[in-house]
Amino acid sequence: MQNLASSHHASGTDWVSPLTSESARVMHLLRRATFGYTRTQLEAALSAGFNKTVDSLIETKPVEPPVLAAATTPGGRFAIGTLQQWWVDHMLTTATPFAERMTLFWHGHFTSDYRKAADDTFMYWQNLTWRRIALTNLNSMLMQVTTDPAMLRYLDLATSTGQNPNENYSRELMELFTMGAGNYSEEDVRQGAKALAGWQLPQPDSIATVVVDKVKNVTQKLPVYTSQKAGVFNQKRAFKGSVSFLGTSGALDTQAVIARILAQPATAPFLAAKVAQHFVTPQPDKAYVNRLGDSFRGSKYDVKTLMRAVFTSPEFTAAANYRALLKSPTEFMVHASNALGATGLSKIVVASGSGMGQSLFDPPDVNGWPNNGSWISSNTVVERVNFVTAALGHVKGALPPSKDATRQQLDGVLGPQTANLLNQATDEKSRWFITLVSPEFQLK
Amino acid sequence: MSQETGINQLKRRDFLRAGLVFGAGAAGLAAGYAAVPDAFARAVYAAKQGGVANDNVLVMIQLAGGNDGLRTVVPLSDPTLHDLRPKLSGPMVSQALPLTTDFGLNHNLSGIKGLWDKGKVAIVQGVGYDNPTFSHFESIRIWETGDPTRRQVDGWLGRTLATAYDSNGHPLTGCACGTTDVPGALRDLQATLTVIQDQKKFGFTGGSEVEAAVGALYKGTPGIYGALFDTAIATANDTIATLRTSSASYQPMADYTDKVKLVYSSKNQLAAALQLAAELIVTGTGVKLLHVTLGGFDTHYTELNRHDDLMGYLDSAVGAFYQDLAAHGMANKVLIATWSEFGRRPKENASGGTDHGAAAPLLLIGDPVKGGLYGSAPSLTGLDATGNLKYAVDFRSVYQEILSGHLGADSGEILGATFDRVPFLQAAVAAV
Repeated sequence: MQNLASSHHASGTDWVSPLTSESARVMHLLRRATFGYTRTQLEAALSAGFNKTVDSLIETKPVEPPVLAAATTPGGRFAIGTLQQWWVDHMLTTATPFAERMTLFWHGHFTSDYRKAADDTFMYWQNLTWRRIALTNLNSMLMQVTTDPAMLRYLDLATSTGQNPNENYSRELMELFTMGAGNYSEEDVRQGAKALAGWQLPQPDSIATVVVDKVKNVTQKLPVYTSQKAGVFNQKRAFKGSVSFLGTSGALDTQAVIARILAQPATAPFLAAKVAQHFVTPQPDKAYVNRLGDSFRGSKYDVKTLMRAVFTSPEFTAAANYRALLKSPTEFMVHASNALGATGLSKIVVASGSGMGQSLFDPPDVNGWPNNGSWISSNTVVERVNFVTAALGHVKGALPPSKDATRQQLDGVLGPQTANLLNQATDEKSRWFITLVSPEFQLK
Repeated sequence: MSQETGINQLKRRDFLRAGLVFGAGAAGLAAGYAAVPDAFARAVYAAKQGGVANDNVLVMIQLAGGNDGLRTVVPLSDPTLHDLRPKLSGPMVSQALPLTTDFGLNHNLSGIKGLWDKGKVAIVQGVGYDNPTFSHFESIRIWETGDPTRRQVDGWLGRTLATAYDSNGHPLTGCACGTTDVPGALRDLQATLTVIQDQKKFGFTGGSEVEAAVGALYKGTPGIYGALFDTAIATANDTIATLRTSSASYQPMADYTDKVKLVYSSKNQLAAALQLAAELIVTGTGVKLLHVTLGGFDTHYTELNRHDDLMGYLDSAVGAFYQDLAAHGMANKVLIATWSEFGRRPKENASGGTDHGAAAPLLLIGDPVKGGLYGSAPSLTGLDATGNLKYAVDFRSVYQEILSGHLGADSGEILGATFDRVPFLQAAVAAV
């Protein structure tokens, strides 16, 4: 049995930040802005340097993933694992990993789950849309989020009417997507719900009759979509009249609701705080958040401007923020696969996510996934280790040299236990195991 | 091979930063949860002196999303219900299982109704708190911390673990079953607790060699997550050892199934989680506080079937759990209590569902309870300004009764105040 008391006493230590060196800053950037790197990717970034790497991450147009053939399945009734693996494969192979990292960020922010969306084609579309809008402008993003078919289902806007509105979307649009609790009234939620009502799911291209129970010969008519579509507005279901919303009165449509939200001082800092927690530090201070928020709002809510402000801020590479963040399960697993230079691990990645607390397209609730320390529990740490065991068991052929991994993946900054165990290990596989299960590798 | 040892002494500033590594999230920050606890300044794993010695167990079942109280304990004789809910009220009243002339249980709660008939179900009606929030996450935090002023960051069960039990080296004292992360109610930096998603899969697939290597690796881990990591690994190793013994000696005496009809598939395997809870209880692992969750109660849409199905799921899982405990002769030790962040709006919406509400009933189930109705059902005509039910019983009154009456813990210390009593227990255990 472990002696917890002594482990506590020994833990009054912190990592020595190597971020004064350019190469460490580049690795730090890639760990946070992408899903890690292969040796080749790292070498390219190191020769470009920190500033040019920031430029190319932000300015390179996102590469679209391959078309998912299953998306034309009637009713979107294909296995969610197909969609999960399609995305992980793209994370592992894409030439624009920052776009994938941002798509994952927005997936946890403007979240939806496949269970309630009840149509995996809609979830596929949502993923495509989030990638396309990931680095655009919050104003147009919010319009696309509002009219996204999976979102229309997930937060019930598709069934709301002006006469008897459903408050779900109106509330979460303000509480979780833009402003944060405490910055609007219950009356704003109700009035916003009226103003937003009227959106419905798009019309399908055709209807297919599908046998859902062969034994009992039960058939069901299911929608088929041959191309991606957004929600449509039905004036008949809309609210007819004036609403009072966030300090304005009048006949507000969805665009006007979004404009009111963007006019609120709470919106830019709310999003800036969340971005900072995911990319910089678990507890960003108020001055930093306000500075990022000002730059975001000043650019008319341009996400590229915000992300550039984040990566080039002194806080991003401050010694205090070195290894201050914890990789999410997906980041951890894709990082590990890249570090091993291994392809063909996406099945294991998909199968292992749930035990660590992250199944893509299936967030725990409308607040998406928690972050940082919330990823640590007795269950999740065991599952992280088990993933490494499975991944190393799956890799065929030679592993990259583990001695390089110490520097390239762990910055050469090792805790005493990791250093000891690496020194004691007698073969490459054992050293890779220790590298990937080490606390150092869980952090970013 | 020589390695640098890249650590230095952690400064107090870093300890303070560590206070928020649980990540309240941007929503939490904006809502004022950024207050950093000074817990790291205290000894994190300090052993407790004079802890609680009785062998009672508490099982909390979270009905996540906001359970509709009016569909759980149905008002049978109030005509206002039909006006508020023209689509949702019909079958729910006609099919309800009558408890009294005025109230009935949801028709899918037949197993729980059977326990009611034996005096083993207490229902506290109208439970809530002042100035309710309609945000899931704010209200969840209020219920988890037991603090409507939102200053407390530790969970009420976590504080119980920390103040009343010696969880150091006994990680199963507090256990969340069927989930991967630590529920907020059990969270406290001074408490050790276990999280087990699926017992069959809990363990290192690489075997004892991996177990030993990982145990050696995670000792004295530097950085703000170091203590969290080390505790999680040590707890996992202790738990694996305990489960090896307990699963060998446990034979379920009831039919647990998660193959139930639901409108959306469930994220939670409630029956499996309760079966694990039963195993931990009946095999004497020292478990005291258990937490399980059933999600899906945020019924803004097509509530009729969704909520009925969830009630059926809850009923079958709780029924099996009680039967299993009884067959093992442990039913007299275990109190089962439901909680949910809020009830739902009395008036239905266009989607055939209901929006976020306020007061709702809680169910307390098991041999320790004195069956019957407690509290008082909120009036359907005297709604508050937001169109919601007014509460009659502060939720901390229920916590207080559980803590002092069932667990024998110092509720005043844990809750920071005293509340009106709700005497739903057969006999209070001797105080510490």
